[in-house]
Amino acid sequence: MSSSASITPPLRPASHPLPGAPDNWRRFFTFNTDAKVIGIQYIVLALFYLLVGGLLAMVIRGELLTPESDLVDPSVYNGLYTMHGTVMLFLFLFPILNGLNNLLIPPMIGAPDMAFPKLNALAFWLFPLFGTLLMLSFFLPGGPSSSGWWAYPPVSTQNPLGHFINGQFVWIVAVALSGVSSILGAVNFVTTILRMRAPGMGWFRMPIFCWTALAAQIIQLVGLPVLTGGAVMLLFDLSFGTSFFQPEGGGDPMLYQHFFWFYSHPAVYVMVLPVFGIFSELFPVYARKPLFGYPLVALASFAITGLSLIVWVHHMFYSGTPQWMRHLFMFSTMLIAVPTGIKVFAWIATLWRGRLRLTTAMLFCLGGLVNFIFAGITGVMLATVPVDIHVGNTYFVVGHFHYVIFNTITFGVYAAIYHWFPKFTGRLLYEGLGKLHFVLTFVGSTLNFLPMHWAGLMGMPRRVASYDPEFALANVLASLGAFLLGVATIPFLLNLVSSWVRGEKAGPNPWNAIGLEWLLPSPPPLENFEDDVPTVLNAPYGYGLDRPLVADEERYVQRSQRA
Amino acid sequence: MTTPIQAQSPSHAHSHAGGHNLTGMVIFLCSESVIFLAFFAGYAVFKLSAPQWLPAGVEGLEVRTPLINTIILVSSSFVAWFAEIQLQRGRLWAFRGLWLLTMAMGSYFLLGQALEWQGLAFSLSDGVFGGCFYLLTGFHGLHVLTGVLLMALMLARSFRAGNYEGGEAGVASVSLFWHFVDVIWILLFLLIYVWR
Amino acid sequence: MTPLLVAIALAVNLLASLWMQAQVPGWLPVPASAAAPYVDGLFALETAIGTFLFLGCVEVILWSLLFHRSNKYDLDNGDPIEGNTRLEIVWTLIPLVVVMAIAWHTTRVDATLATLGGKERVGGGEQALQVAGRAAAADAGDAGDAGTAGGPIQVIARQWSWEFVYANGVRSTELHLPVDQPAAFELVSLDVIHGFFIPAFRLKQDILPGSVIRYRLTPTRVGRYRLRDSMFSGGYFAANQSDVVVESEADFRRWLQEAAARPLAPSWNAAQESYRRRLERGDRGWAVVPPAPPPMVNVGLDPEAAHEG
Repeated sequence: MSSSASITPPLRPASHPLPGAPDNWRRFFTFNTDAKVIGIQYIVLALFYLLVGGLLAMVIRGELLTPESDLVDPSVYNGLYTMHGTVMLFLFLFPILNGLNNLLIPPMIGAPDMAFPKLNALAFWLFPLFGTLLMLSFFLPGGPSSSGWWAYPPVSTQNPLGHFINGQFVWIVAVALSGVSSILGAVNFVTTILRMRAPGMGWFRMPIFCWTALAAQIIQLVGLPVLTGGAVMLLFDLSFGTSFFQPEGGGDPMLYQHFFWFYSHPAVYVMVLPVFGIFSELFPVYARKPLFGYPLVALASFAITGLSLIVWVHHMFYSGTPQWMRHLFMFSTMLIAVPTGIKVFAWIATLWRGRLRLTTAMLFCLGGLVNFIFAGITGVMLATVPVDIHVGNTYFVVGHFHYVIFNTITFGVYAAIYHWFPKFTGRLLYEGLGKLHFVLTFVGSTLNFLPMHWAGLMGMPRRVASYDPEFALANVLASLGAFLLGVATIPFLLNLVSSWVRGEKAGPNPWNAIGLEWLLPSPPPLENFEDDVPTVLNAPYGYGLDRPLVADEERYVQRSQRA
Repeated sequence: MTTPIQAQSPSHAHSHAGGHNLTGMVIFLCSESVIFLAFFAGYAVFKLSAPQWLPAGVEGLEVRTPLINTIILVSSSFVAWFAEIQLQRGRLWAFRGLWLLTMAMGSYFLLGQALEWQGLAFSLSDGVFGGCFYLLTGFHGLHVLTGVLLMALMLARSFRAGNYEGGEAGVASVSLFWHFVDVIWILLFLLIYVWR
Repeated sequence: MTPLLVAIALAVNLLASLWMQAQVPGWLPVPASAAAPYVDGLFALETAIGTFLFLGCVEVILWSLLFHRSNKYDLDNGDPIEGNTRLEIVWTLIPLVVVMAIAWHTTRVDATLATLGGKERVGGGEQALQVAGRAAAADAGDAGDAGTAGGPIQVIARQWSWEFVYANGVRSTELHLPVDQPAAFELVSLDVIHGFFIPAFRLKQDILPGSVIRYRLTPTRVGRYRLRDSMFSGGYFAANQSDVVVESEADFRRWLQEAAARPLAPSWNAAQESYRRRLERGDRGWAVVPPAPPPMVNVGLDPEAAHEG
């Protein structure tokens, strides 16, 4: 249609102006059903809670700077570390990943929005609700929940002050609401990916981020209800006199552990799979090479989903589990290393003989990859029962999971922000501040979490407010690293705020990337491609292969530049 | 009210939205079934391993009245199915009548459940059995109540002119939810009342 | 990227891995139980394999970082390689074989370590104590566990103290064991889940309220080691520590005799001290369960004693 070159983009009524523009910030505080607005709502609120969780971490590391419990009362310490874990998982990581899903999935598959926009907004607004509930629990008499983010009974049902509304009660309600929000989100994301892809986008023409998002959300659908069930039973034990987990009433505390870990192990894959997707998206762009072995990498996502549901007992090797159960779950846990390894090797092969550009996003991906290789190795160590018996419930585990959650997953989240910020706000982030953020974060996180492994090997238990003097050096190093991490957030926040307000304007494709979202203007219009959805012709990541991603690609490029 | 439902071809967005609704409900129900499965698994584990299962003084559960309630609830699924057929054939009043009947049968079930609860010799905090019984039947009852309310919503919507052109997916989704609630009840009934 | 370079890198990685393997004992407490050498050996092997893998991956990444960089304003593409089926099969199968081999080897190591006895379910802490007491009396005639004065040692975990009750009635908050002799335990908790963790032995077992857990281990080195509560048990759980004293058979018997002659007295208890200080400061802080009274024992805890590992 040669006449299309003279058609100007249609003017939209002002009720939903372009997402990302800083002059219409009010819509971020409304019940807005646009996925791009919801995505930014999730991300910004989640970053706020990252700061809250980080502040809690600063106090924790301050206490652990010296062997004695001398900074805060041990009861306060227990509440602080409990809330640190709870905030970081339920108020930072899960929401920010949902935010990325909202921003990225529709444009990547050529859809105008999510399948259920109102449900999407509802799922988001539960987030400020349960977030506020958790924050308010700090002010209850007796303080917030202090039984660890696991909330194992009988500790979690002890309720020393005997109040009906106590920190643990509010915690359970907040976590249950978070589960509802996540399930509603999962229904939305899965329906959208299954039903709203652009014409021509078969499974093996879909970006990896959508594969991993689908794999992760399926885990949410299958796993979260079990956690909710366990949480409901815990609430009843705490508040209504039941004895599901109380031995005096005939109950079994171990059953809670099974309910809890049946979800909470797969939960870590819910968090890491999207980051695997981010790495798979970004390495091709910044190495200018196709993703090596894309079909196998895509399928490995579902292998991880399946395996993640049959490994949970590895968190209970030292509890009361019989030998045959430990061995069974050791084997299943070891198996997960295989699809994970497929992805790691694919990324390394993608780098090989590429043309690497070390932007901030790429640096975070590279750092995350190296950290993840290390974390995966300590994971395999933890999977072997005798080693886990020694280092389980010690700082070795704390070091391991922070290497995954922070040094890999959060690195991936940062990379995603640096990569897609220009697309969704129309502004570029300052590279200098970005690189500073990376260096401080990499050094800080290594210093913070690497020494923990040695502390654990030497026998330092986790969750302790005080420790024997032989662990002092590891703790001093860890605390220094933590304080450095606190400082590292400053250039990050400065960058985000000032770039959004007055950063250099970004074109539609600042990274010269291949993908449907890069065929849209920056920021994209209300319904992305509106009624001009491209037809996908080829698999993604076709760098150097001289094949168009969509039919009539040049027209979409022109269209994106004109807006 | 005599507007034929399927006479005009549904708009692009409508038929997509309908398909989305049904897919979404199916996915949601798969997830909901897992929470029931988790409770069932917990019930089974407790029953098989608890040293003292039934509370002192309790011999077992009365089965006859719950069995009648079960028959009524399961039959209501068929009634709902007939109602859907009437809607597809465009007979709105027949649909509304059968739909209302379904709601009545569901409400009867809830009433029966409440009466049973009132007459029981044990409470929520009477050992693990007490906890499991009330938790399971209560959680299920909550779903029945939700189903009845959703049906009421669909019934009200049916009075809006032209609402069901391409919008029957709402009824199909709620119907699916109702069938789900019934299947769960059958499993629950077998687990709690039949399994000794 | 010549084959020579690859061979050199592999050789260097191998040496580095073996070096790391040799460092492992320095990262761990002194091995003091029959289980420890096996656990340490497995961990050292995993460290070697992990080092080899980590170095290999990082070297390839570094090579790309150094030699496959784009020039500053260059937007050229890299080699348009989409995959290599044979390579992908290799890097699926080799990790599969490696992890399965490690898992299989581990089951053999684990069989050697079988320490856990049966687990009996009862209701409530005091009942568990009765069951444990009965079981101890019944086992008194069991020659296999005669090393610890004729019967299993009852380990009673509370919020927040440890108490050890020997078959001859001696009660202590310090665990004394004769070296090179199997020791049998019955682990009970009177309130919440605790963790029986002795780093020098490389052993850990959660103690569940409402259960009596039979446990066995064999100390192999004389010394004083730490016992820590490894499962978060609320409030002052970090202070719930004690010592394990492994001594010669003669010293152990002498200790038992002397202990039996001592009167029962409340043990020094770190949690109790902390709680007392908290009350003196006006009970400020978040909710905490008041600590159980310190156990009445013949031998109390010595907070000044120095431990190794």
